[in-house]
This record gives sequence, C-alpha cells and structure tokens, in this order.
Amino acid sequence: MVRDNRHTYRPRPAKVIKIIDEAPGIKTFRLRFEMQKDRKRFSFLPGQFGLFSLMGIGEATFSMCSPPRQKDIEISVRNVGDVTNAMFSMQKGDVIGVRGPYGKGFPVGDIKGKDIVIVAGGIGFPPLASAVEYIIQRRKNYGKVYVYYGVHAPEDIVYRYKKERWLKSGIKIFTTVEKKTGGWRGPVGLVTDGLKKLKLADVQNAAGLSCGPPIMLKFVSQELRTLGLEPDSIFLSLERLMQCGIGKCGHCNIGDKYVCRDGPVFSLSELRYMQEDVW
Amino acid sequence: MPQQPINNIGILMAHDSYYLLKKEDVQGFLDALSSKMSVYAPVKSEGQFNFSKLGKKQKIGLEGYINTEFPPKGLLMPEGETLVKYEGSTICEVFSSEKRAIFGIRPCDVHAILVLDRVMLGHGDIEEHYEARRKNTLILAMNCTEAGENCFCGSLGTDTLTEGFDLLFTDEGSHYHVEVGSAEGGRLIKASARLFSATSRKAKRPKLVFKKHIQTEGLEDAMKRAAKSSIWEKTAERCLSCGSCTAACPTCYCFSLPHHVDITKMDRGKITREADYCMLLRFSRVAGNNVFREHRADRLKQFFYHKLVYGKENEGKMHCVGCGRCITECMAHIDITEEAAKVMRKYGKR
Repeated sequence: MVRDNRHTYRPRPAKVIKIIDEAPGIKTFRLRFEMQKDRKRFSFLPGQFGLFSLMGIGEATFSMCSPPRQKDIEISVRNVGDVTNAMFSMQKGDVIGVRGPYGKGFPVGDIKGKDIVIVAGGIGFPPLASAVEYIIQRRKNYGKVYVYYGVHAPEDIVYRYKKERWLKSGIKIFTTVEKKTGGWRGPVGLVTDGLKKLKLADVQNAAGLSCGPPIMLKFVSQELRTLGLEPDSIFLSLERLMQCGIGKCGHCNIGDKYVCRDGPVFSLSELRYMQEDVW
Repeated sequence: MPQQPINNIGILMAHDSYYLLKKEDVQGFLDALSSKMSVYAPVKSEGQFNFSKLGKKQKIGLEGYINTEFPPKGLLMPEGETLVKYEGSTICEVFSSEKRAIFGIRPCDVHAILVLDRVMLGHGDIEEHYEARRKNTLILAMNCTEAGENCFCGSLGTDTLTEGFDLLFTDEGSHYHVEVGSAEGGRLIKASARLFSATSRKAKRPKLVFKKHIQTEGLEDAMKRAAKSSIWEKTAERCLSCGSCTAACPTCYCFSLPHHVDITKMDRGKITREADYCMLLRFSRVAGNNVFREHRADRLKQFFYHKLVYGKENEGKMHCVGCGRCITECMAHIDITEEAAKVMRKYGKR
C-alpha cells in the first residue's frame, strides 16, 4: 500500500468559524479551509456543490449558499440525516472535511442582461442565495431580479438577515407560507401562486432559476412556461443521492445522465430529453 | 458524445508476434510469473470457477472451464477496499501498488474491462483507485472453445479480441497459440523464452455455437420507443429486486463510499468502497427518506437501459458484453435476451 497526495476522495479540512441558527432544524455553517491552497482550489459558481464529511459518520452533499470568490464558504443544512444530525452538535472551531466543487452551476454568465426569476422552495434556497449574491456583486449586469420563496410555515424562513441588503440592491422578494402561524401577514399558499401574478416586460429576455422539492420544480417549470419563458431559459437544480461527485458511482443517475456531473443544474429543455422520470 | 477509447493503458501494438506454448508448459510459465507478480487465474471450488490468487506452485486446472461465476471486476474494484484512512486530523488516500496478471480471462470480460476503463478513466475525471489497480494489471486473456448455456457474446462481437490484452491464449488441443498484444506481454514471453516457440500463423479459433442471441440492429431505437412500455411492469412482477443481475454483471460498476470507525480508537477509521446496485430500493434514497426510483419496474428498466442503451450514449459502446451471467444468476429467470426480443417484436421497425 502506498500513500500519496492524489485526491479522488480525500476531504480537505475546513474549520467551522461561524454557526447561524436559521430556523428550527436549519443551520448555516461558515467554513474556512485550513490550508491556503485549498481555499484557492475551491472556486465555484452558484449552483455547484461540495461533499462535506464528518470522518467516521459519512459524507453529504450541499450546494454552497455563499457568493463565489469569498474567503469562506457557507452551507445551509437541514437536520434530516446522519451527517446533518452530527453537524448539528458541532461547535465553532470544529473541523469538517470538504471536497469539490463539483457539477455544473447556474449559467450566470449566459443570463447576463436578463430579468431573473428565482423560485426557491424550503431548503432548496441555498444555491439560489449564492446566485443572488453573485448577481448583487455585479448588479448592473442583470435586469430586474424577482425572488419567490416558499416555505411550510413562517418559522421556517431562512436568511432573514440578508433580506434588507437584498432589497437595497433592488431584489424583489415574495415569500409565501403554506401554513399561517403567529403574526404572519404575508401570502398563504403555494410558491407558484405568487408567480402567477408576475408580469415580465420581455419574456424573451428573462431567465428562471429554481431549486426545491421535485413536485415543486414540476409546477414551477409549468408556471414559468406559462409566463412565456423558453425551456432553454429555465434552469432547475435537482437533488439526487451523490457519493462520488465525479460521475462514477451511479447513485445520481437519471437515465443516462449523472446529476453530479451533467447537473445538478439542468435547463428544462435538457430535462425534456431525460430517459427516466425526473419528478 | 461517444468517448475516445482510453489508450494510456494497454497500449495497442501491431500484432506481429505469435507463439506456441505446450499445455504442459503453462504451469511453468505461471510459476515463473508468480515469482514476479500476483497471478490470478480461474480456480475451481464447489463446482464453480472463480478468479483466485495462485499460491506458490499452485497447480492450475482448466478442465471444464467456460467462464468464471463472478466477473473480474472485483479484481479492479475489490469489495470493501480502503480508499481513505484517517487518524485524528491526518487524512490520507490509500492506493494499491500490487503488480498482478489475470490469466484465463475470457474475451467478453476483457471487453467488460474496456467498458470499465471508459467509465472510470473517462469523462475528464479519473477514478484514481481504479487507475492504480488497472495500470498494474496484465491481461492474459483466453479465447473460448465452447459457449456456455447463457452466452450471447456472438451477437455482440465481444467473443473476439483485437485490443485490451497483453497476451491472448487460444486452445489448440495439445498447445496454446499465444498472441502478443502489448510490449509488456512481449516481455513476459521473453522472460520465459525457452517455453515458447515462435510461429507466423494466426490462431485457429473453433467456431462457437450459441443458444442465445440478441438482435443489436435497431435495438437502441426500439428501446427508446419502449421507454413507457408495459413490458417493464410485466417483467417486474417477477423481479425480486435482489440485485443478483447487477452483482453478476461484469460492467456494473456502481458503488457506495461508507465510513467506518475503529471502535478501539474512535479518532481512527476509513472510507471504503462497496458495490451498490440500482436494483435495490435504497440505492436512490436520500436523507429525508425520498426514494427517486421507487418502483421495481423503474429499477429493472435502469439496469436494462444502462446495459443496452445508455452505455452507447455515454461511452460510445454498449455496456452489455453478452456474458450471460445476469441470466444465470436470476432466480426469477429474467433473461435480458428475451426482454430485448420482446422490445424488438413490439417496437422494432420492420
């Protein structure tokens, strides 16, 4: 047996430098690679993902929610599995393994100059938050930006602390809850309800980005089509089980496609040619 | 996009070297080889041949050998191999450096290894653990003299080899005809030169008679038209979803990467690779318990389509090599050649 510096699966150590309690069962972790060269290597586009591991427990896939080219990376995590459960007992200063970035992100370069309609469902928000941050950093390059965000109940809303800054940058935010609790005064219903009221100045010059549960993506893509967006201007980030991240292990297959390699972001026109059901 | 064949391993050479090796000298050749590297060969146990590492001077017996029960993929991606080790904050990736030769591997299985090469070393991302084993592996292939019950390589052109071997043995009765396929293969012959006599003629391959066939012409298109067919639901009624077909398939490469803790020292442990199968319900399950391929028919379809359609689309060549192991191992008697025939009857263009 030889040991060396090849790195198909070796996670790079990153220190937890901040933990934000977002909502019940959701935390955001800010991570800083311990080695300078890993910081440089991990340059990504919104929508790309990393594999995050706790040695001895396992590895899990998260899309980064922070803007690219920031010193630190941020991921938002919902406590639903073994890895996330262990992450929830982590403290500032603890170390987590990171490898990546992997996959194809949102085509932020190709959609320059367009109005952008973003639709996020629940814990599908993080990669879209990264896209919003990316757009804000280059605000003049993009047209109007609408963010439709749907959650189960008001207490599930994340990134509250970003809202003011986003509004100041001219991002229009519409939050919908499925179940009204407490003093919620906003709309109650499905995230697509709000979308129905949207009037775009020029649908030929607009793009839609979405991430969320499969059933939501199905209806969001229908709604965006109804608005008049072309299938090749609608981009959806899909969830699948991923283990290797490099298109080998087969867990993320949809037909012949590897979500980790060919996605996780696909245009609706790509999804139409999938050889297996997507939703 | 079809992939270019991967040429950094098993570099093709002009086939200008043919030799004869007397059958009684095979043992001497393998003994000499064993002193330099690990030699894996078909060894019979409980009525079945399987690849096994030969011990020092272990006698080889190929009487009745048609093919191994399990494919050679386990030699390139061993079940439970350690990929990453860690202790405290030290994490390192572990690679095999074992130099070895696989003797007696059948043409279909060599084609299967070429499929694995295209997947594991292709698409711009090299799976380095596979690569480490692959580049240290010599392929000493052996042509078939007889087709097995479920073999259908004759329909796929995978019963013959023009690449992918270092040496290719053909049984000619009292001796083997040996074709050199690589520089490394040539060196093996040189190292045991006194056992080999040069010849200028090609091997005399016996004509194989197959009981099973698969029609490949138009199959891909017919399969695509059959995507929503009731054929799959119907066959899935019999399927036990046990994963035997995928375990037995020489080109099924899917895997999981479980973590293990050393319970005697909790800050120490490893990440291993274990074969995983799309036939199993858990295969597509994500945290939160959402299963993307919930229906048995969808899982069965994924196997058939991966073998007959997707491989061609992704790697330029069909993944099924016609070894027939999935037919042999299936407890529900599901037969990929019968399923393909059903598809052709119903969806093939006449």
